[in-house]
Amino acid sequence: MRPVSKAVVASAMVIALPLVVHSDFLLTILIFSFLLGMLAVSFNLIFGFTGQLSMFHAAAFGISAYATHLSMKYWALTFWEGMLFAAALVTIISVGVGAICFRFKLKEFYFAVVTLAFSEMARLIVLNWNDVTNGSLGINLQDKPTLWIPFQGLIKVDDTLTWYYLSSVGLGLTILVCWRIVHSWMGRCFAAIRLNDELGDALGINVFRYKLAAFATGNFIAAVTGSLYSFYLGFIEPGFLSIDQSLAIIAMVLLGGRSVIAAPVVGAFVLTALPHFIHFSAEVRAIVYGSILILTILLMPRGIVGTLTSRLRGARNAA
Amino acid sequence: MGQLILGQLLNGAIVGTLYGILALGVTLTFGITGIVNFALGAFMMLGAYIAWYLADGIGMPYVFAVLGAVLVTAIGGFIADQALFRFTRNNLVNGLLVSIGLIAIMEGGALLIWTSTPKDMHYVLPGVLHIFGIVVPKMKLAVFALLLAVILATYAALTRTWIGRAAYAYAQNPEAARLMGVNTGRLQTGVVVYSTALAGFGGALYASLYSLEPTMGSLYILKAIEAAILAGIGSVLGSLFGGAILGVTEGTGSIFLPSAFRDAYGLIFLVAILLFKPAGLFASRK
Amino acid sequence: MLLDVSGLTKRFGGLTAVSDVSFGIGKGEIVGVIGPNGSGKTTLLSLIAGSIAPSSGTVAWRSSEIQGRRPHEIAAAGVVKTFQNPQLFMELTVFEHLLIAGHLMLKRALGWRRISTLLRTGSGNRDSALDVRAADIMRLCRLEASCDQRAAGLSYGEEKMLGVAMAMMCEPELLLLDEPATGLGQAEITSLEAVLRDLRDHGTTLCVIDHKVGFLGRLADRAISLHHGAKIAEGTPAEVLRDPKVIAAYLGRHRA
Repeated sequence: MRPVSKAVVASAMVIALPLVVHSDFLLTILIFSFLLGMLAVSFNLIFGFTGQLSMFHAAAFGISAYATHLSMKYWALTFWEGMLFAAALVTIISVGVGAICFRFKLKEFYFAVVTLAFSEMARLIVLNWNDVTNGSLGINLQDKPTLWIPFQGLIKVDDTLTWYYLSSVGLGLTILVCWRIVHSWMGRCFAAIRLNDELGDALGINVFRYKLAAFATGNFIAAVTGSLYSFYLGFIEPGFLSIDQSLAIIAMVLLGGRSVIAAPVVGAFVLTALPHFIHFSAEVRAIVYGSILILTILLMPRGIVGTLTSRLRGARNAA
Repeated sequence: MGQLILGQLLNGAIVGTLYGILALGVTLTFGITGIVNFALGAFMMLGAYIAWYLADGIGMPYVFAVLGAVLVTAIGGFIADQALFRFTRNNLVNGLLVSIGLIAIMEGGALLIWTSTPKDMHYVLPGVLHIFGIVVPKMKLAVFALLLAVILATYAALTRTWIGRAAYAYAQNPEAARLMGVNTGRLQTGVVVYSTALAGFGGALYASLYSLEPTMGSLYILKAIEAAILAGIGSVLGSLFGGAILGVTEGTGSIFLPSAFRDAYGLIFLVAILLFKPAGLFASRK
Repeated sequence: MLLDVSGLTKRFGGLTAVSDVSFGIGKGEIVGVIGPNGSGKTTLLSLIAGSIAPSSGTVAWRSSEIQGRRPHEIAAAGVVKTFQNPQLFMELTVFEHLLIAGHLMLKRALGWRRISTLLRTGSGNRDSALDVRAADIMRLCRLEASCDQRAAGLSYGEEKMLGVAMAMMCEPELLLLDEPATGLGQAEITSLEAVLRDLRDHGTTLCVIDHKVGFLGRLADRAISLHHGAKIAEGTPAEVLRDPKVIAAYLGRHRA
């Protein structure tokens, strides 16, 4: 099936779903899956396709959440203006962090450590800047984004159905953008960097520039997600920037698969849905989580999507 | 002011040995198995809780509680190696991810068994000493001395015993070591077990000084990795100095700048080192 | 002189790998570099191509200095080097390798406009000129049969040819080849010679390192010889190979 047809079918299913499924519970799970899917797909751009293990993704997500709310509070911006501001801010910070890391040509492990360090520094600032961020208590968000809909005018994005469509559009755009990049000449540069950056350099690819491009783009999308997610949840807290959050994102990508740009959505869905269907206490959830991570790496290194597609290919070849 | 700085220096050095014993485990694991075992922090936590349980729960004498903790963490390390790390040799990314999964499991388990309520052990060695006018609890000094002794003993073993030199040789040149008859599989398992035992030992001693809670390991392993990288992964004595440097940096940073950001000072220092001297301060010549 | 190397020196700690080497390469020449193992040939090429920065000395390409610049900048300027041990993108096919190698070509053709191709939908994601050139080069390097073969499954000879093919995709003016014939069988060497001569005839200047003295002898117009990092002889291949210093370097190292 050609990619365009696949996209059309998937979009049709997503749009039509609420007509069939009326359960608020299920739709809520999907909303979270879509939003976290945006995080996971954008991380896949950096990690799966360009080969950079960034521990900064959650920081981009969290900083944007805070920046959106604070810019709305102090400068009376609307949600969308706040989101744009936050995304721009996060992108600038990412370019800074990325430039430092890539300029010094940090190898993959050290890159993970330095991005972790920056992420922790950001979290500590958020945690301790009590006057502005309310520290560990977090902030409750009363505002909601507003949308202009034809025939209905300005509405508040307040109910499950509207959030469902908004988040699905967000995910759709994310996949579209990432897919386009990955299948373009820039995507080829990313692949070269991932597979053999010394060779890429010798062939004229400006490794620094394209690592930075992948990093900044991924973090930009994470920032947009941060704004949406925090306003959907109605709450922000420093935990958004924690290492646990970064690990959750990595787990989604590993579980879903790295080979297809949209594969992490599957991982996001499984990891979001699972705790809702099987009720675990927080402690048991951590154990299940860790086990899934380990089992995926050792037994299913290509993730769910990767493993399925290679099985299908194998079956097709054998037939 | 001088007293304050001296006090922080002393405290920093003591905390530094705790970072150092973990950093030693990190360095050894990296040198021989090619991965960074983040779960060493969780093993430290495990050692701490076991020691607390044996000493306060069952009533064993503290010394036996410590030995028991080391035994348990060593066995745990063996299981982890056979089940997990055996499959991620020399694969930094997979090793990282697997050890993180292990942390989630261990911390979740600890939360289940012992809850997040902090646990305090009774005073093992009450009383203080006065050094240059600074008050230092005797137990802190004892812990410092013990950790220092173990780290130095490890260094001595690495340079003087046959096993130690075989390990060193392997770290420099795996092929040559194998050809010389070193059983690399057992060496790798041995190093993993030793490093978890070290972590357990550190944790058991930690229990005599501070409150325990299940996430204590995460912070320490981060510091330990900072210390190891600071010194240069591969340098055994370096982990001692790296730990001390980190401990002291944090302590003195907290005097002049907001202590809330104490953790950040070490991080900033680490980033600076990684950027300008990526091999670390005491990098061993390859 | 297209390329002018002057006083190029590289020290690694106490070891001097390249010592005060000066030579030039003119347009359309094939210059060979010979010397025993450890004489600094690969280091010399790496210094010119930018993967190593010199300790001192200059490399002038078309009259502007390029020493110390990054490999990708030097490649963009027209100087491309192959690797002695073939460097590949293991997961990818031969064709995909050439597409990636077409990056500079695309950059030159489109300039900043290539960013807009990211937004174009549909099949506009590949420049057909790129495809055509890749096909041409595969034919030239006799890699057509392995077009869709993953790099991991190639023979050593094919890997080396792929390295040359990728370098050719970069439209180099000066191609630096690091031991392209080493490890190849006789038939493959003959192919390689034909490909390289063809390249020169179409305007590419070549600089080739190799051990195979016969291969270089036939191919090169001029040769220089290195020993312990220093240039000890220069001239036609025949002259250089007859030079007593060169013979001593290869054979007489054990004599005082």
